[in-house]
Amino acid sequence: MQKVDNFSMELNFTEAYRKNRDQHIAIREARCHQAQFPAILTEIQENDRLAGRTVWGWVGFSPHNAPGGAAYGYFCHDQKIIEAIERGNIPMDQRDGVHEMLHFWKKETSKAKVEAAFTEKMLPVLFRDEIVSLPYNFKPLIANPIYRMAGVFVDYEKLLRLGIPGMIFEITDYMNQSRASGGDYQLYEGMLIALDVFIDSCHHYEKQAIDKANATSDLKRKQELWKLAEVLKKNAVSKPETFYEALQLSWLYTLICGSLELGRVDVYLGDFYVHDIDNGIITEEEALSLMHSYWRLINELFRDVDGRVIIGGRGRRNEKNADRFALLVLETMRTYGRAILPQTTLRFYEGMNPELMEKSITLIGDGHTFPLLYNDDVLVPGVAQAHDVPVKDAEQYMPLGCGEIVIDHMGFGTPSGSLNVLKALDITLRDGIDHISGKRLGLPTGDLKDFKTFEEFFTAFKKQLAFYIEILADHEELEYVESGKQAPYLYLSMLYDDCIARGKAIFSGGIRYLGGSLESFGSVNAADSLTAIKKMVFDKKLISADRLVAALDNNFVGYEKEHKLLKECPKYGNDDNYADDIMVELHDFMCNHIRDQRDRTNLDWYLNVLINNKQNTILGRWVGASADGRKAGREMANANTPAGGNDRKGVTALINSLVKPSHNIHAGTVQNMRFGRDFFTSNRGRFEVLLDTYFKKGGAQAMITVINRGDLEKALVEPENHKDLFVRIGGFSSRYIDLPRDVQLEILSRVTY
Amino acid sequence: MSDKAIIFDIQRASLHDGPGIRTTVFLKGCPLECLWCHNPEAVATSRQLFFYYDKCTSCGDCAKVCEDEVHHLTDGIHTIDYDKCTFCGKCVEACNSSALKITGAEMTIDQVMAEVMADLDFYTNSGGGMTLSGGEPLLHFSFSMRLLQRCKEMGVNTCVETSGFASEVHFRKILPYVDTLLFDYKIAGSEEHKKYTGAPNEAILANLDIAYQSGVPVILRCPVIPGINDTVEHFGHIRDLDRKYPNLKGIEILPYHNTGNNKRTSIGTRETLAELGTTTPEVYLKWLVQLKELGCAKATIG
Repeated sequence: MQKVDNFSMELNFTEAYRKNRDQHIAIREARCHQAQFPAILTEIQENDRLAGRTVWGWVGFSPHNAPGGAAYGYFCHDQKIIEAIERGNIPMDQRDGVHEMLHFWKKETSKAKVEAAFTEKMLPVLFRDEIVSLPYNFKPLIANPIYRMAGVFVDYEKLLRLGIPGMIFEITDYMNQSRASGGDYQLYEGMLIALDVFIDSCHHYEKQAIDKANATSDLKRKQELWKLAEVLKKNAVSKPETFYEALQLSWLYTLICGSLELGRVDVYLGDFYVHDIDNGIITEEEALSLMHSYWRLINELFRDVDGRVIIGGRGRRNEKNADRFALLVLETMRTYGRAILPQTTLRFYEGMNPELMEKSITLIGDGHTFPLLYNDDVLVPGVAQAHDVPVKDAEQYMPLGCGEIVIDHMGFGTPSGSLNVLKALDITLRDGIDHISGKRLGLPTGDLKDFKTFEEFFTAFKKQLAFYIEILADHEELEYVESGKQAPYLYLSMLYDDCIARGKAIFSGGIRYLGGSLESFGSVNAADSLTAIKKMVFDKKLISADRLVAALDNNFVGYEKEHKLLKECPKYGNDDNYADDIMVELHDFMCNHIRDQRDRTNLDWYLNVLINNKQNTILGRWVGASADGRKAGREMANANTPAGGNDRKGVTALINSLVKPSHNIHAGTVQNMRFGRDFFTSNRGRFEVLLDTYFKKGGAQAMITVINRGDLEKALVEPENHKDLFVRIGGFSSRYIDLPRDVQLEILSRVTY
Repeated sequence: MSDKAIIFDIQRASLHDGPGIRTTVFLKGCPLECLWCHNPEAVATSRQLFFYYDKCTSCGDCAKVCEDEVHHLTDGIHTIDYDKCTFCGKCVEACNSSALKITGAEMTIDQVMAEVMADLDFYTNSGGGMTLSGGEPLLHFSFSMRLLQRCKEMGVNTCVETSGFASEVHFRKILPYVDTLLFDYKIAGSEEHKKYTGAPNEAILANLDIAYQSGVPVILRCPVIPGINDTVEHFGHIRDLDRKYPNLKGIEILPYHNTGNNKRTSIGTRETLAELGTTTPEVYLKWLVQLKELGCAKATIG
């Protein structure tokens, strides 16, 4: 029997939007939430100790948790709806409505609003009306817009301190004051409706838990469900008093507000946990059971690139309790087993309880790809400077998703564009023309042969990069402006400083810091290519400019001599200043020019991020052969990690290179290091010293994977026997056998120590 | 005093040649010629042509540029007349497949020190430093001496890995600059020793005694080769040394591995022990048990 494609939620949602089209945007959004929740909340499953699962509609509203490929804000997934129309299973009475809905949203989605506002300068450079889900990207473009409001870290502490009733009380108070003084009181009115929606959702699950308790004959399960119903009821009517209530409230709020990040769990749950344990309200076993349920929900509902659970670090008001909870998180990881999510993140500093780091390293040694390690001694001052915020606020830095750094419930900084740095170099060799499509993509700065010195050439490259950076910065600002015009993002505005006090929504002047970030890819290959061009074309003059371009155009076929010479040029990652200096110069230029965009825009910060997801491989497919010896279409190096196989001088030389680019001018880098398992089993002491030295030398971050090469090779041949092999791609972990072949090979090519 | 020597490799982040995280400097040239040597390219003192035969495409570009008739291609088979090579490097440059290299490069003390000092932070934190290896470092006595002195001046911990086959005078002079000595112990009987390494071992054992009596910490490193010295008798000799020198810092078993054979082919010498494969853990762990049963408690696998 074929499934019915029921669009009743989507139709109700569209109707709610349309009916309230001319209403205040807060009222309109609140009414849309009413159509969406609890309609998209799905059933409590067999082993769930916590309530809260979602299956988002193909039309809806969410800052970040919209279905993949559906963008953000008010979204409409055209492709999925058309697929349903083609299947022909839409109920008769909905068919006309669905067609009509599809037309309605074409101009009305948040993405459409941003695109409609594109400037003349953006139009030829940024693509429009096209969201292609990863790993597919068919256009050889340099600047790519990204549509999402990623990195939601709401003020969980406030949520748990006040509870829903407390929030209603506070907002009502502000609403009354605002109304009396002729302010924008309807923003608060919208928030109150949204909180009603939340309360309804609690009751919805409460009732469901009771029904399920009545239906089961399993006494233990019956009790669990009764307990859950009681917790949900409490959430609806009072502030949380137990760990269980706090965990349930924070989880359901995360889901409904459309966030994909969990934030500083040790701070906001630590006191509840310690209180309940110390007073015999809950046992360790029971707490762990709840955490397992939490882990499972995150794993099943969130995407691999998100789901940050953050523990440790500076700026925790309740450090002792937080440490105890952090240990529970690590114990949860150990007992739950290896998993893709959550992306547990350990922030640490000199003087922190060493048990957290020790237990973390044991987990890494056992083949967990987490926790990710973040060095607060470098990052707190780094963020204070890069983001230009007081140290007190910098202490609340949060790496989101793949590693872009924002500030907990004070500062937003969604990455709204990516820049293919190597492709920009490609066109700089050829007067701004993309030799693959034959189209002009950049500025006419001349051909390689026109430059008399390397410095002139590097300057032209910087000019091209600046051109794209400015467009992407403008795009980031535009995205916020248009989003703010269309919706107040009520669930976010309620729990982001200082929206309630200012009476303004998050993207309309309410939030304390409104920043942004630019994801750059291919910098290492670009730097190594520049090094090779400098050495071969300008310094040693062993290859002429024309011959180099010809070699690249021909993917080195017939130019084997040149290929060899280029491959043998110095490469970043070997503690060789000839190559590392160029990497540093490119890094400094990129980071500083991106950071300077805050002077051109209204953004509080706009910063480069050198993170990695699969984009290094995906964007690389459309980049021709490069002067570092990389062949056409091949993957680009990950973040600012050396290109696969190029770090030949050992891990200490690699580390010396890694710490050269500055860490106080960007919003996050990713440093992948892979170690063979034997390094942990027989040399753990030395491994710890190595890591410690890396961090003392200024290393900001490390993502460590323990794997042996043989494991990966065997997995390529016998995938069915290696389903438990997890690898870190960079911002996330993935089952190795599920990755595209070229991504698998790229991982294999990275050097293991 | 010599300021230069031929170095065939500098290995950073080395974990197996002494305490902590180290940089190992390999000097080229060795007075012994052990049958099982895993660094055969370290035996000759001079530079050498090195051929990665599996990378060769038989294109003949090397033969075209060589003025000394070193490279020959007959029916697609590349043969090399190693003795004629003058290390001009033209063939290396001509080879697009990177199948050729000249192994060994002359380096000054300053050049070596620059590379050693790059990892100072790692030594400081881990108790590591520089290890001088080879070849036989004492064959380049004055260079080794100067390099060790420079390390001590710069506060870098030093290890020397030696066969012990060196003049007593040199040996005594170098000891004050060595923090840990990694001393090879290959075969007990002098005749046997000569048979497999090319030299008798009386002088070696005398140097071991000098080193031990001097108070420099000594780690005994014992290559164990199946069919040659994997016998209870030899293990007994190791145990005897342990008794004679109770303050040895460690006794490491180095199980035979055959990676040296590929390199022998690459430098134009004959394969040795061709029938022996790399020792498996099952085998060498058994050796370890045997040694422990004989009463050699501090033995470990190196």
